[in-house]
Amino acid sequence: MSGRLAFLYPEIALFVATCVVMVLGLSRTLKARKASAWVAGLGLVAAGVLAMASTPRMGQASCPISGFVYHDGLTPAMGQVVLAEMVPYVKVMIAGIGLLLLLTMAGTVDREDEARIAAGQAVFDPLRSNRAEFYAFVLFSLTGLMLTASADDLIWLFLALELTSLPTYIMVAISTARNRSREAAVKYFFLGALGAAIFLYGFALMYGGTGHTNLNAIAQHFREHGVSTLSMAGVLLAVFGLCFKIAAVPMHFYTPDVYEGAAPQVSGFLAFVPKTAGFVALLLIVGAVGWEYAGHSAGVTSLFAGDGMEPVKHAAGGRQLPELLRLTLWVIAALTMTVGNVLALLQSSVKRVLAYSSIAHSGYMLVGLIAGPVGSTFTTNGVSAILFYLAAYGVMNTGAFAVLAALERGRDAEGHVGEAESFDDLRGLCASRPMLGWVLVVCSLSLLGLPPLLGFFGKLPLFSVGIAAGEIPLVIVLGLNSAIAAYYYLRLAFTPLLDAKDEGSAAIQAAPFKGRAVAAALSAAGVLVLSLAGGWLMTKAAHAGAYYPSAPVKAESAPISDEPAPLPNDVHE
Amino acid sequence: MIESFTLASDLSGYLPISLIVLMAIAFGIGNVVISQMLGPRRAGAVKGQSYESGMNAVGTARKRFNVRFYLIAMVFLVFDIEIIFLYPWATTFPNLAPQSDESLLWLLRILFFLFTTVVAYVYGFRKGVFKFD
Repeated sequence: MSGRLAFLYPEIALFVATCVVMVLGLSRTLKARKASAWVAGLGLVAAGVLAMASTPRMGQASCPISGFVYHDGLTPAMGQVVLAEMVPYVKVMIAGIGLLLLLTMAGTVDREDEARIAAGQAVFDPLRSNRAEFYAFVLFSLTGLMLTASADDLIWLFLALELTSLPTYIMVAISTARNRSREAAVKYFFLGALGAAIFLYGFALMYGGTGHTNLNAIAQHFREHGVSTLSMAGVLLAVFGLCFKIAAVPMHFYTPDVYEGAAPQVSGFLAFVPKTAGFVALLLIVGAVGWEYAGHSAGVTSLFAGDGMEPVKHAAGGRQLPELLRLTLWVIAALTMTVGNVLALLQSSVKRVLAYSSIAHSGYMLVGLIAGPVGSTFTTNGVSAILFYLAAYGVMNTGAFAVLAALERGRDAEGHVGEAESFDDLRGLCASRPMLGWVLVVCSLSLLGLPPLLGFFGKLPLFSVGIAAGEIPLVIVLGLNSAIAAYYYLRLAFTPLLDAKDEGSAAIQAAPFKGRAVAAALSAAGVLVLSLAGGWLMTKAAHAGAYYPSAPVKAESAPISDEPAPLPNDVHE
Repeated sequence: MIESFTLASDLSGYLPISLIVLMAIAFGIGNVVISQMLGPRRAGAVKGQSYESGMNAVGTARKRFNVRFYLIAMVFLVFDIEIIFLYPWATTFPNLAPQSDESLLWLLRILFFLFTTVVAYVYGFRKGVFKFD
């Protein structure tokens, strides 16, 4: 039992930090209120260190911090084992990029109120202040994200996904004082509830089809009995629902409106946190189904094996997903890339461009999900490719949004601070504010995937796993889309280098929060450092993508495998 | 095709549920239709009141009331959840072997849970929910 608890030390550290932040942020003195952001950062650092030191690994003899000795490495009784090595990697990545995102959050809420209090025009009213809640929501969401990674149970997975998403709805609503944010939050909330309902229904059907909620037990059930029609319906619904989290095509409609309505730093948060949660959950669900099914041959009739109702069984030497799931993900991936990139071409708002590009990047990563772990090296394992791409995307995307957050226009008629939004606002940035300008240049070129930069090293394994898995048409779609993306990313990269228009960018000034500019600089530095010396991260990602499909089959040590699966048929006959 | 679907698959277990769903829909629609067909329709001043056979309505429905009631309801939820979790814990705890590692773990768990509710309470207190002036 205490062995299993070691999994959760990072989450517990984050949760305790959240509790402190919630109380500290309501202090009467400004210094104590400002300390809440530092406590949040400290919590993230502690969580990252604990994740590195305390998360049990496959075949590891003992947990470094708790000292608990595993006789047999990781077992199903202790946590999910299908993708066990992924857990520490994802948690450290979340802590690192969470720190970057936290820096951009400086001064998001309570700006007017704090200014009035500092000028002596108002007294501090805890009921009106939002600072404590805002930082607590950031931490709650990141806690949920870490919990998603260590989920070994469908119920746990659902709760963790909800803990990731619920705070983000409120963060969108309170991120600016404008009605546009509230509209975005309402839209986001209702579509989010729809997505959650769909994947919850999928989870319920998976339970109905296998008789288990434990992912290890489900993986084992699929391995022994095949994927029944009911379970397949569940898996497909779960995939569709999770498409909302990753902003993939049938559920992508909210993305541009929400990203545009929220403050840029919150949009940057939305682009990384729910996407990571969605991909980790997709990896767990699809990993439970497994990638060892027979190849396709005869078109639509082979979607269901046999007469249409027989379970889809594992095949010796099979190296792909069940055909129906593969085809669904294939169509989603191709459409997501194309829709995201083509619609990004038509936008005039930088935030909308980044929103559509976030849709497109989800499509790229789905290629890795379809291919799966073909081999065990970095260039042949789709899981590693996704895990590396998530880290790379998190760094470069945070940089782009941090630049937008670090800029602002003068106040409008209602007294709201305007945002740098159109391409014209960014003209001449490299001349007027060289640091922010060059950060934007570096980050957009990296998002494009220009060869010496980080984005290229993220995209390369997606191409190679696609080819290794034999998904040539999908790789061609991926290549075409990378070419389309060049148009708007180059536009974004070269706009700061152009001469400023007279009236347009004159109104642009730096936001009075150093944290945002620091986050932008750190992101660009991260992109450059990882581009030049990212080999260690690739090694880590290759290790993290290790897939143990047969690990749960351990009759004497796994108590869950002893029970026969109660099928719905048995009940009614 | 459809027959083989219901017979051959494990979906057949859902037949009773679909029957209940059908019955629920039929019940809802049926009641509306029957009351439309059979019910007398007589309009009048008394008929038009909010509570036809109850109190006379006083004032307007768009009345402002203190938002504090909502805050108190939220704080009440904290205690509510606390009880919901404490009760099953308290009934199970005596079954564990006294002074064993497992019972210590269970005690620590519930203490951690109580800590979270205390934090929620402290948060509400500092937010000024309990200030009645």
